[in-house]
Amino acid sequence: MAAPEVHHLFHHAIADHSFSADRQTLAVTRDNVIDLYQRSGKTFQLKDELTGHDKTVTGVDIAPNSGKIVTCSQDRNAYVWEPSPQGWKPTLVLLRINRAATCVRWAPSETKFAVGSGARLIPVCYFEEEDNWWVSKHVKKPIRSTITTVAWHPNSVLLAAGSTDGHARVFSSFIKGVDARPEPSAWGERLPFNTVCGEFLNNTAGWIHSVAFSPSGNALAFAAHDSSLTVVYPSAPEQPPRAVISISTQLLPFMSLVWSSEDEIIAAGYNCEAYRFQGSDGGWQLAGSLEAKSRPGLSDQREESALNMFRNMDLKGKTSDDTKLKTVHQNTINTIRSFQESGGKVTKISSSGVDGRVVVWNV
Amino acid sequence: MATLNWRTINVDALDPDSPANFDLSSLTPAVAPASTADVQSLAGQIRQLLRGGDSEGALQGALESAPYGADERGKEIHLATVIEILQSIRQSDMSPILSRIYSSPGGTEALDVLMKYIYKGMSQTQTSSTTRNLTPQATGFSQVHARGGGEGGGQAMSVLLSWHEKLVEIAGPGSIVRVMTDRRTV
Repeated sequence: MAAPEVHHLFHHAIADHSFSADRQTLAVTRDNVIDLYQRSGKTFQLKDELTGHDKTVTGVDIAPNSGKIVTCSQDRNAYVWEPSPQGWKPTLVLLRINRAATCVRWAPSETKFAVGSGARLIPVCYFEEEDNWWVSKHVKKPIRSTITTVAWHPNSVLLAAGSTDGHARVFSSFIKGVDARPEPSAWGERLPFNTVCGEFLNNTAGWIHSVAFSPSGNALAFAAHDSSLTVVYPSAPEQPPRAVISISTQLLPFMSLVWSSEDEIIAAGYNCEAYRFQGSDGGWQLAGSLEAKSRPGLSDQREESALNMFRNMDLKGKTSDDTKLKTVHQNTINTIRSFQESGGKVTKISSSGVDGRVVVWNV
Repeated sequence: MATLNWRTINVDALDPDSPANFDLSSLTPAVAPASTADVQSLAGQIRQLLRGGDSEGALQGALESAPYGADERGKEIHLATVIEILQSIRQSDMSPILSRIYSSPGGTEALDVLMKYIYKGMSQTQTSSTTRNLTPQATGFSQVHARGGGEGGGQAMSVLLSWHEKLVEIAGPGSIVRVMTDRRTV
């Protein structure tokens, strides 16, 4: 397995990152701005800065086809940035929330996006042609607490959301005039706006950090703060699910997860490394870490020369440097995303974390 | 005009969308109800094991049958049982017992339960006569009014602290996180 590609961008936490479709542009959040990096050779060069939010930016997403960037922040606003000859042009979105926005994701159709918020609701935003304005419709019931994560079904109508009330829910976000009527699926047949298609709780009711639909959309996975990962297979509309499989681990909680195929999930979080889970509706298990145990680059077990030892004792007062983690990321991983796919399988993922690094991994 | 202190009105109660009006029971996972009598008879069985010298079996049994659905009284009885077992095990035996439980089926969960009891025990190491006026929080942790609780509590606390140390060595720091997350309180 090739070594992961590490980009240490700055010494700030990265709440969220997103690559453009050609993977040449990288958008990362840094405090209240969004930095746009351009790939040049093996590294990324800072090219542009999107300023406008006045509080910490919590989410960024680049639409793969249109190239529009949506960002959201604790200042309760979201902007859609469009490229123009004069640079990036922001458009304010009317979210109508009275608490911070926590996360944002474009629907696969790119005609709408969903924003998670602390106001116990999810604004689903779409563009209104007549007013030339992004407006929102609220998914409200029965959310009891802050939405920490949102994820879209491939049909762009179903929306999964995880909340600090311990529930992972699947909603319909069907908007007349924007969406085509979706094919009936195991989640539901008739799907007016705000239909609750599923509501799931794991054993301990710990709060949810991440949700994701499988590539086909026929399964839902969520990671909670009790270090567990739960996979739900729905059976039919209005019926209890066919299988709910919960894998509790002895690791620290996972912050983000991504399906690499129908039978594999990659999850990463407070352990600072990514883990692989494998299984099907018969059962799931932890299949190990993505981190190669003997990496040439970081295992820095340099020949302990006497000179080195005395230099270290002089500089640091000790002979070995024990302030470094053995993992590539040196702090919590906040977001992982699919980076490259081939044949319906994710072959590379990108991760970003509190240590200011963006890493591209081979799966 | 009636004199009314507006500042004392609980505005949350009047707002139908307020979180104060949520039915909180929907947030907690379903737990099997357990009556105090059940907990008491279980405690008797576990003490039997303990008297027979099988402290490991007693500990495992007590952790696997944690009465999540019991009322405060029942939970207190079970806590007393667990603390009694913990105090009866010698320091040198702690790690071997913990690693054996850890590698047994369902053992990882049992150790998470043990961590819950250690924290609950630490929050009430006063003599049981004064635990009455502690106000349990919705999170299951009691407010700590006085730490240690004098001479009697100090010894119990040191036992719990050494268990805590050994437990984190084996189950990792994740077990502490899971205690804080779990809505099934002991």
